[in-house]
Amino acid sequence: MAPSLNDDSPPSTIDEAFTENNLQPFFVLQKGPSRKSDRKSSGTGRTRRFDLSSASPKNSANIEDEKEDENMNLRMEAFEFVWSKIESTIKDVLRVINTNVFSEIQTWVHQSFDTIRSLGTPEFPEATQSFPIITDANSKRLFTGLVLTKNMEFVDDLLTFEELGKHLKYQGCHVANLSSLDFTAKNGVGGCLRSLLRQFLMSSLDPADISILASWYREENCNNPVVVIIDDIERCCGSVLSDFILMLSEWVIKIPVILIMGVATTLDAPRNILPSNALRCLCPFEFTLGTPAERMDAVVEAVLVKPCSGFIIGHKIACTQHFYTEPLSVILLEFASEEDNLVFEIERHGLSPEVIWKHVFEFPSCQRVKLNKLTSESLAHAFSELKRLQNQWRAVVLCLYVTGKGEKVRLLDLFCEAIDPESYNQGEFDTNMKAEKDPVLSSSQIKGHVICKAVRLVRDLSTAQLGKLLKMWENLTVGIPEINGKVKELLSLLNVEDGKSSKKDLTVTPRRHTSRIQLNIEKDSKSLSDKAANLIECMVRDYMHPTECIPFHEIFCFKDVDKLQLALIGDPRRGIQVDLLEFQKLLCCRCCTSSSNALLPSMHDTSIMYKLAQEHGDLINLHDWYQSFKSIVLCPNSKRKPRQSPLPKKRKGIKEAESQSEASIQARFCRAVTELQITGLLRMPSKRRPDFAQRVAFGL
Amino acid sequence: MDFNAAEEEEFGFSRNYFLAKETGSSGKKSARKLSDINVVDEQELREASANIEPKHQNDVADLINSYKSLYPKWVFDLRCGFGLLMYGFGSKKSLIEDFASTALAEHSIVVINGYLQSINIKQVIIALAEILWEQLKLNRKVSSRGLPKVQQPFSSRSMDDLLAFLDGPEMDEKDSFICVVVNNIDGPGLRDTETQQYLARLASCSYIRVVASIDHVNAPLLWDKKMVHAQFNWYWYHVPTFAPYKVEGLFLPLILAHGSSKQSAKTALIVLQSLTPNAQSVFRILAEYQLSHPDDEGMAIDDLYSISRERFLVSSQDCLYIPLTKEGLEKLLSEMS
Repeated sequence: MAPSLNDDSPPSTIDEAFTENNLQPFFVLQKGPSRKSDRKSSGTGRTRRFDLSSASPKNSANIEDEKEDENMNLRMEAFEFVWSKIESTIKDVLRVINTNVFSEIQTWVHQSFDTIRSLGTPEFPEATQSFPIITDANSKRLFTGLVLTKNMEFVDDLLTFEELGKHLKYQGCHVANLSSLDFTAKNGVGGCLRSLLRQFLMSSLDPADISILASWYREENCNNPVVVIIDDIERCCGSVLSDFILMLSEWVIKIPVILIMGVATTLDAPRNILPSNALRCLCPFEFTLGTPAERMDAVVEAVLVKPCSGFIIGHKIACTQHFYTEPLSVILLEFASEEDNLVFEIERHGLSPEVIWKHVFEFPSCQRVKLNKLTSESLAHAFSELKRLQNQWRAVVLCLYVTGKGEKVRLLDLFCEAIDPESYNQGEFDTNMKAEKDPVLSSSQIKGHVICKAVRLVRDLSTAQLGKLLKMWENLTVGIPEINGKVKELLSLLNVEDGKSSKKDLTVTPRRHTSRIQLNIEKDSKSLSDKAANLIECMVRDYMHPTECIPFHEIFCFKDVDKLQLALIGDPRRGIQVDLLEFQKLLCCRCCTSSSNALLPSMHDTSIMYKLAQEHGDLINLHDWYQSFKSIVLCPNSKRKPRQSPLPKKRKGIKEAESQSEASIQARFCRAVTELQITGLLRMPSKRRPDFAQRVAFGL
Repeated sequence: MDFNAAEEEEFGFSRNYFLAKETGSSGKKSARKLSDINVVDEQELREASANIEPKHQNDVADLINSYKSLYPKWVFDLRCGFGLLMYGFGSKKSLIEDFASTALAEHSIVVINGYLQSINIKQVIIALAEILWEQLKLNRKVSSRGLPKVQQPFSSRSMDDLLAFLDGPEMDEKDSFICVVVNNIDGPGLRDTETQQYLARLASCSYIRVVASIDHVNAPLLWDKKMVHAQFNWYWYHVPTFAPYKVEGLFLPLILAHGSSKQSAKTALIVLQSLTPNAQSVFRILAEYQLSHPDDEGMAIDDLYSISRERFLVSSQDCLYIPLTKEGLEKLLSEMS
């Protein structure tokens, strides 16, 4: 194939200008004029050429285009706003969760530092020497905090250790964060030293030597502990880590280093990777982070349940997809920032009213409710209604959550159930509730109904517990008078029953008759907890509208999970094989589709070869493979030989240029094999088995 | 239900494997030899392979053109901070280069050809740093505090410094990124862990956005979760093109020419071109020696090492072996000596 670059055979598809570049390891394709003023105009001008909105049909009018552009930029802005809000919320939540552990660690760091100091500070001549001081074994102990992450996904904890570093730095410690990449066998202990020097001294000196660190510390007044954080010791190279530990322990009097190491598995981990002489230097302490489940619940609560951004999914890719495909998503910018009085101005969003109305009418949720006339006001009204319903939903979900919190009801499960529009529409919840009351149906038959479980919990509460719970409900439902009133009513009843009747509470109770809820106040027959259970049932039934049942939710909701999955985890192994096996679907050509699965000569060569390979075992005899390939591409008796078969040479007559066509078939065979090799679906013949290629993938 | 389906799939997968193993080893293995094929002369084969009539040319062109409607979406994704990862059968080189040059016209674009045998990632990063430096100067963003006036040349800085520079905090204008197009990020020249780590760190820099393509079915095994989620930030796109792998397959031997004759000098030349300048000079020394001493057995490796070291081409004996063991050139060498 090499001579294809030659003059005798000009390559057809590769651009001549690029052939030189193709053989460069890298090259500069273009240097962009990165000027502010230029960019504004040319940047938008460039993208304008393409269809910017897949959702709205658009005519080619220029003004429309410009509006689209403006809308696109606004959408970008909205995305940035919403995402930064979500991201900072997540970070805050995680920080709050770790606060206790962090302060625990901090206290321990300072205590350890004091202990090291109590062993004595080096005298001036000693301190300036470039070798360590060793007095006794005790002074070689290295204080080590083992932080159990309880999480195999070390990615989740990268941020934790970063935050821990910041926290300790803020408290006056000198902190360096090392990762398992600094402990590779290739770089040895020099690699981690270099990284330490870079972080402490802000410079990269080539002969990495710990005495440099010692003299740096002396200059820093020796008043603060030096903390080295290693985020995941299980991934470090054991020998390098142990060298590092031995080295630090020798210097610990001069540089009071305190180690903090993340451990994903169990406390045995250091023992498994370190030799005993390194282990002897460690003086370990144990800290435990919150479990992933706890963290997940906290994030769900802050991002998805509580008002965070107005947007209903917390993944960045979902965000981009949503903002890209949904022209009205710009509204989120206002929705999230403004309070109750939402003034909706279409013109501000760079969309013409016609486009908006058309788009809005296409929402399935709007077709359901049959809005016949839309104005800006009615739209604004619809949005505030949506907001109101969402608040109600949120309050009920949180009430359910606080109810079940002690009993291992996870917010994530609760959330999934509460947001599911189908069970809501079918009134599934009601029937389940009835089943719940029916003693014949045991609870195990109703699978996974977290809401029911939470409701059931209410019935079993003692009066004191109920009082606490009702107080929490009262707090959670502030701002939603319909529910809040009921809760207060119940609370006062509780107080009466307790004999601690307080008239104050009664007077506060609004005298409103929310007609929909019928609290069967039959004082004698039912206990108060039954009433509370009834109340929460009513709340679930009447106030927990899943977002997807509300008109216009499409603006705030991202639902296309399949698309999200594809973007998140592409599946090249399957994808590439399917490409080859069903290539005619992708190429939309008519010549290769036949009712049977017969291979046609017009098919893509590599595709033919791959399909043929399916018939072989794990080894493919090259000779057989070639022969079957040849018989297919030469096959004249296929049912309907496509006229546009791109083998003009053959049409001239096989006899005429027998040898030439033989050469071309061989070349095509070679290329197909090469292409399969590039995709990794085929391994080339080994010296031991020169006549066999090896299949790599079996099944999709 | 889902669980069952997944289990079934997994089961099917292993069953397929064992079935294939069985059919492979159960006596019926064909014993015919590759040499039974009347293989044409290698020269002829190469010529023929250069002249292969493309099939479905129009359909392929239509397919590639259909991806143009995705360009604005891709730009949007890049601006949101993602890296684009293209997979699917067919060469995606021209597709992503076309995307970069049309849709990102106002950005600098650097292309890395991962299908080549040897790529010096540090040189790439130096080039990127130089481009960024120029760009920042143009924008007058580098105030007096930004960087010292007499700055150390990029080529003598450490990787960490270079990456720190590319990850600069001065991002007033969010869109002033440099686009790095990586053809075959899973290619032979980039496949080792260290290079992938550097690429991942590069991808996480604030001034850099990566658009990459993969062709190998097992490419995702190159990355751990940190790289995928925290650094590359991949946004996957399935974009099969069915375009022939012309350049990508340039260095792979033709299976029918395999072993039958020597590698052609042209292939060696191409490999030579893809080497770093220093490695090329090592070969020059070797060739010059060979030409001036035609009767000698060959050059002793120690002599080669000392000359190379004198000319500052290599720093250790190990460095010398790296270019010498490159595929293709190895053979060329054995023929020369």
